[in-house]
Amino acid sequence: MSETLITLERVCKVYQVGEENFTALNDVSLEVGKGAFMSFVGPSGSGKTTLLNLIGGLDRPTTGNVLFQGANLENMSRDQLATYRRENIGFIFQTYNLLPVYSVYENILFPLILNGLKESHVRKRVEEMVAKVGLMDQINKKPAQLSGGQSQRVAIARALVKDPLLILADEPTANLDSENSRQILELMWELNREYKAAVIFSTHDEKVTRYIRREVRLEDGRVSWDKRRNGTEAEP
Amino acid sequence: MIRFWFRGLMRDKSRFLFPFTVVAVGVALVVALVGFMEGVFMGMIDMTSNLDSGHLRLVNKAFYDEEHLRPLDRALANQRETHDWLVKHSSMEVDWAPRIRWGAILDVPDEQGETRSQTPVVGIGLDLKSPDSKEIERLRLKSSLIKGNLPKGFNEMLMGIQLAEVLDVSVGQSVTLLGQSFDGGMVADNYQVAGLVRFGVSARDKKMVLIDLADAQNTFYMEDMVTDWLGYFPPSTDFDRYEEVKHSMSASLPDWTPPKDWAKDDFPIVLSIRDQQNIGAIMDKFVVIKGFVVGIFTFLMVLVLWNAGILSGIHRYGEMGLRLAFGEPHWKLIMTLALEGLWIGILGSVAGSLLGGGFAWYLQEVGLNMGDNFAQSGLMINDVVRARVTVGGFVQGIVPGIFASVAGTLVASLAIFQRSEANLFRELEAG
Repeated sequence: MSETLITLERVCKVYQVGEENFTALNDVSLEVGKGAFMSFVGPSGSGKTTLLNLIGGLDRPTTGNVLFQGANLENMSRDQLATYRRENIGFIFQTYNLLPVYSVYENILFPLILNGLKESHVRKRVEEMVAKVGLMDQINKKPAQLSGGQSQRVAIARALVKDPLLILADEPTANLDSENSRQILELMWELNREYKAAVIFSTHDEKVTRYIRREVRLEDGRVSWDKRRNGTEAEP
Repeated sequence: MIRFWFRGLMRDKSRFLFPFTVVAVGVALVVALVGFMEGVFMGMIDMTSNLDSGHLRLVNKAFYDEEHLRPLDRALANQRETHDWLVKHSSMEVDWAPRIRWGAILDVPDEQGETRSQTPVVGIGLDLKSPDSKEIERLRLKSSLIKGNLPKGFNEMLMGIQLAEVLDVSVGQSVTLLGQSFDGGMVADNYQVAGLVRFGVSARDKKMVLIDLADAQNTFYMEDMVTDWLGYFPPSTDFDRYEEVKHSMSASLPDWTPPKDWAKDDFPIVLSIRDQQNIGAIMDKFVVIKGFVVGIFTFLMVLVLWNAGILSGIHRYGEMGLRLAFGEPHWKLIMTLALEGLWIGILGSVAGSLLGGGFAWYLQEVGLNMGDNFAQSGLMINDVVRARVTVGGFVQGIVPGIFASVAGTLVASLAIFQRSEANLFRELEAG
């Protein structure tokens, strides 16, 4: 059994919508091991994004606890949560969210700059990541000059460049065609193996499920199915 | 990190060019306007002080109280002793100039010696012939001379150009002064017109003549007497310094042993330029108006830059969300925005200062001839209006420019404080 990275203990998240209460997550308990490659699957409104929010320290549970390597996120201040995200979490979005005025190189550099590293010290690291995602010939291009698949590759490199323990990927293939989706998933799979960063997808995409080693299905805010596949790494 | 964000700022024209232009234009307007206002105002002050009031003035109170009558019998005697006292009790930086203010009828005779034309004139007797006198330079008489020369010989006069035209007098012609002497007797003395000058103030050009102090003393029987002592500080001395020296001199006056030839009721007083011709109140109003102008421009700049900041915030909504999601604390994000505002403020202020300062400098060197507008006015305003480029003018443009840029950005970035991380995923997925 691999070392536990994330622990969710009886997590509930209730939103107030007008005068009604909406339960987005209801008594969810999970453990995610280091180097996991898994997905949260479920229809819209099932709680996938809420779960990513809580794990990413972007929101707090109404009840229950979210622990990162044993540290309870509930006890962290807003600034401490920002530090937690900055140091440990990489994000990949459906719409890439690259910074339009910066080049491929600079977009990948961006998280390292946020971590206070000097560009001259990390230039090699950034170039290495650009090469890993196969975009060396596009390194000085701006996002507007890239295709969707290339943009998502940049987003992957940006998420990985700071060597995070966890990557949260929200519908990373939703805007891509089949071929590009396949390439992106294979790339993420390879990088997961190489860099050992745990990857959690939130997805509707059936193609994703072919690559992941664990699938957590959510329905109405509850875990309805937690399926682990045989892989080289056992899940908790 | 700051360099990284600045790189983006300089590339993103939509978030740089507009606020930069607003700051540059705002600062340029303030610098030019303040320069112009300072120039016009200080031109008036200089003109008034050079001809009339000095920065400081020692005068017999009895003369001052009735100065419109030019009561020469209330002049102060003993020039040397008075000058010595002034030098000792004022300040080393002050240059003291003796003057006689007088009024008389100027009579222009024809070839038969009969009156051809005649008019009342106001005159000043001042030191035009001593080699160490600064009066010619102070009144810019050399450059104001239209025809003829400065007085060199006995009983020569300089005449305002419009007065000469009215009287149909030319250089070299003899004229007669008809007035009242120090002791109340009638005076009639001949002068030769040595030169015609343009004082640059219509009221003066029409009515004023200048004669040498010694000639005036001779004509009005005022040997070793003057009506006024005018004190001049070096240029750009602060007005507060005038008041400081005035108070110190006023405090010393009661201890002054009057010179031997003074009358028993001679009672000298010290005045600053603020005390004369209501200039103090005008100065105070000028400061208020200037503050008002700068304040209005600053407020408008803040308003526009605030809106620019909001537009930029909308334009960069995704970027801000991404930065928050990636773990940049709110305060740090706002700090980098404030630094961007500071940077734009500095660049815009530099550009605006160059633009506004350049325009003010042009107006300072070349001037704007408004003689036609002032021709009918009795105001002591130079016909050629000039701006004045001062460090203060730049400060009054640059500081509000930078402030407006930073304040506008900060007000606009208040929304970032309220932005909840919990919605970032949805917002960022929305693109």
